[in-house]
Amino acid sequence: MDGLRNHVQDVFRSVFGDETLVIQDATTADDVPGWDSLMHINLIIAMEKRFGVKFATAEIGRLKEDGQNVGTLMQVLASKMGRIQA
Amino acid sequence: MTARDILLATLDTHLRETEAGLSAATSDLVRALRAAIDEGHLELARETLRRSVVPSLDYTTAQTLARLQQELGRRLDVPGDPVRIAVLSSLTTGQLVRLIEMFLFAAGVKAEVYQSEYGVFRQEILDEGSGLYRFKPRFLFLATCWRDVGTRPDLSADLDAVSNLLNREFASWADLWDRAHRRLQCQIIQNNLDVPPWRALGNHEARHPASPGGFMARMNGRLFESAPRYVTIHDLDHLSSVAGRWQWSDERFYHHAKLPCAPEFLVDYAHSVSSLIATQLGQSRKCLVMDLDNTLWGGVIGDDGLGGIRLGQGDGEGEAYQSFQRYVRDLGRRGVILAVCSKNEEHIAREVFEKHTEMVLRLSDIACFVANWQDKASNLRAIASRLNIGLNSLVFVDDNPMERSIVRHLVPEVAVPELPEDPAGYVHALERHRYFQSVALNPEDLQRTEMYHANVERESAEASAGSLDEFLRSLAMVARVAPIGMGNLERATQLINRSNQFNLTTRRYSAGEIMQRVNDPNSVTLTVSLADRFGDNGLISVIIACCADGVLDIDTWVMSCRVLKRGVEVFVLDHLSRAGLERGLGVLRGEYVPTAKNVIVRDHYEALGFARAGSAEDGRTVWELKLEGEWQDRAVHIEEAQGDGRAS
Repeated sequence: MDGLRNHVQDVFRSVFGDETLVIQDATTADDVPGWDSLMHINLIIAMEKRFGVKFATAEIGRLKEDGQNVGTLMQVLASKMGRIQA
Repeated sequence: MTARDILLATLDTHLRETEAGLSAATSDLVRALRAAIDEGHLELARETLRRSVVPSLDYTTAQTLARLQQELGRRLDVPGDPVRIAVLSSLTTGQLVRLIEMFLFAAGVKAEVYQSEYGVFRQEILDEGSGLYRFKPRFLFLATCWRDVGTRPDLSADLDAVSNLLNREFASWADLWDRAHRRLQCQIIQNNLDVPPWRALGNHEARHPASPGGFMARMNGRLFESAPRYVTIHDLDHLSSVAGRWQWSDERFYHHAKLPCAPEFLVDYAHSVSSLIATQLGQSRKCLVMDLDNTLWGGVIGDDGLGGIRLGQGDGEGEAYQSFQRYVRDLGRRGVILAVCSKNEEHIAREVFEKHTEMVLRLSDIACFVANWQDKASNLRAIASRLNIGLNSLVFVDDNPMERSIVRHLVPEVAVPELPEDPAGYVHALERHRYFQSVALNPEDLQRTEMYHANVERESAEASAGSLDEFLRSLAMVARVAPIGMGNLERATQLINRSNQFNLTTRRYSAGEIMQRVNDPNSVTLTVSLADRFGDNGLISVIIACCADGVLDIDTWVMSCRVLKRGVEVFVLDHLSRAGLERGLGVLRGEYVPTAKNVIVRDHYEALGFARAGSAEDGRTVWELKLEGEWQDRAVHIEEAQGDGRAS
C-alpha cells in the first residue's frame, strides 16, 4: 500500500497546492485545510485521471462523510485498480 | 539562465504538452512560477501565467493555475476599476466562476464576480432589493442549463399547443432579461439549452415538437431568432455537442454536486464565456498571420517547386492542407484580416497563390504579404504597423516549433498557438482558442479585406499625388452622418470597444449601455460612414456627447485608424459644433485620457483649436472650444451624402 500511498499523496499535494502535505490512513477531511465540497470534487477528478478509475456516485459522496478517511479512499482505489489489473 | 529564460522555457514545454493532451510538464511551470513569485518577479510571473492559460488545459491543471492566479492577484494589484460580472444559476458555479476569472485574467481583463446563492437566480432578478442590484454588474451571465426549462409540453400536445408553450417559455425569459436590463443597463449573456443525450423517442425525438428534445431544440431556435440585442446567446448546446453529449453530462457530478457539466469540460465552458465578455471589451484578435511552407501546403516551395509541394486532391495530407486553407478563407470572409509572414523569395511564394490550381487562398484574400529572409519577429512588427493594428491583435500560425518559440520570446503580445505535426489537426488547434470570437456580424466585417486592399491602393495614390490636399480631393470622399440607432448599434458598439489608438477616453460600453445614452434626451450621438473612389470604408467613427450646464461634453470619440489624416475629425467637429449651437450651448468640451495606445490623439483637441481647460497628474487633459454665433464649417474634402451615402 505504501507505493499507492505515495501516489495518492502526490495527488493531494498537487490538488491542494501544498508540496509538504503528508497523508496517513487516519487523515480525514477535517485534517486538511481547504478540503471543502469544491476541493472534494477536484480531488475526485484528479484521482480518476491519475489512476484511470471511475468512482460511483455513492462513493463520491461517501468518501467525504464523517468517519471516512484516507485509508477508506485508498481501499476503494486499490479494489478498483485490482479489478482493472485482473 | 535568468528567471525570464527559465519561465519562457517551461512555458514552451507546457504549451506543447498541453496541446498534446499531457499534463506532466505543468509541474515544472508551476515550480518556476512559484520561484519567480518568491523572488519577487511578480510581473514576469503574471505575464507567463497569462500565456500559460489555454482552453486545452485539463481540469486539475486549470485549478492549479487558477490558484496561482489568485495568489498573484493578492500580491500584485492591477490599477483600474474591475469589470463587474454577475453570475446567476440554478447550479453550483463555484468552480466555473473561478475558471472564468482565470481566463479573463489571461485575456487581460480585471474582473470582479458576484455569485448568487445556489438556485435562486429568478428571485435575484425579481427582487429589486437583491444583491444583484446592489452589485450593479456590467455583464449578467445567466448560467442556466436544460433543466431550467419552466414548462414542457405533454407528449400528445399538437403543434398549436407546443407553439403556445414555446411563446410562454420565451416570454418568461424575456421578462427576466427585460427587468434586469431596465434596472442595470447591463449586457446579458444567456445560455441556450444543452439538450441531453437520452431520447425516449429514439430517432424521432428531434422531429416530434412535443418531445423534450424536440421542444428544447425549438426553444434554442427561438432564443437565437428573438432575443433582443442586449442579450448574447451563449451556445452551450454547441459546447456539449463538441464535447460529446454523454461525456458532457456526466450525471455523477450533477447528482452529487449539481455541477453544470462534467468537471473536465468546465474549462472549455469557462473559456467560451470569458471569450464572449473579453470580445465585448475589445480584447479579441483581428488578424491571422500565416507561415507558408508546411503550414498552408506540404513541403518547401523554394526546394520542391510548384509541382512538388503537397496540396489538394489525390493526397490525404495535401487535402488536409487544403481544408485548413478553406477554414482560413472562411475566417477572412467574416472579417478576420489575413496576412502572410514567410521565409521565402517573395516572387516564388506569390507564384503559388497565382498559379497553383489547388490553392484555396488567393492573393486577393491576403491583406499584407511579407516573404523575405528577415526574422519573423521583425516581420510581424512590420505587418502590424502596415495594417495599422496593434501587435496584440495578431495571431501567428507556424508549423515550426522553433519559430513559434522565437516569436513568443521576442514579441510576447502576439498569440502563437501550438500546432500539431499533422495538418489535419490545424483547424482544431486554431479554433479551440476562440481568438476571433464574435457576437455580431456587420457589413464592415464582410468587406474588411477589400477595405485593406483599398488602403494599400490609397497609399500608392498618396505617394503619387503632389500634395496632401490634391490627394484628399482625388479621393472623392462622401460621408454619411447618422445618430446611433438600431440599424448601426452593433457596429458602433464594436468600434467603441475595439478602437485603441484613435480613442480619446477609451471608455468601453456594452450595446445596452449605449442604447441607454441614445434614449437620453440630453445625449448627442453621431456616427460617420465614409466612402471614396477606392471603396466603402463603412462606419468609421462614433461620438457620444452629453449636454449639461451649457456645455456639450464629449464622452467618447473613436475613429477607425484606416481613415486617419483624411479630415474626418474636422468634419465631425463641424457637426458637433452645430449640434451644440442648435441646443443653445456655448461650449464644446473634450477630454483626453492617455493609455499605452492612444498617444496619436494626445494633441487632437489642440489641433482642432480647443483651449486647454485643465489637466491632472495622470496625464488627463480637458479641452474647451467656445461656440458663438453662426458656425463656419471648416474646409474639408468630404462631401456629406443624403440618402445612404455609399459611393456608387
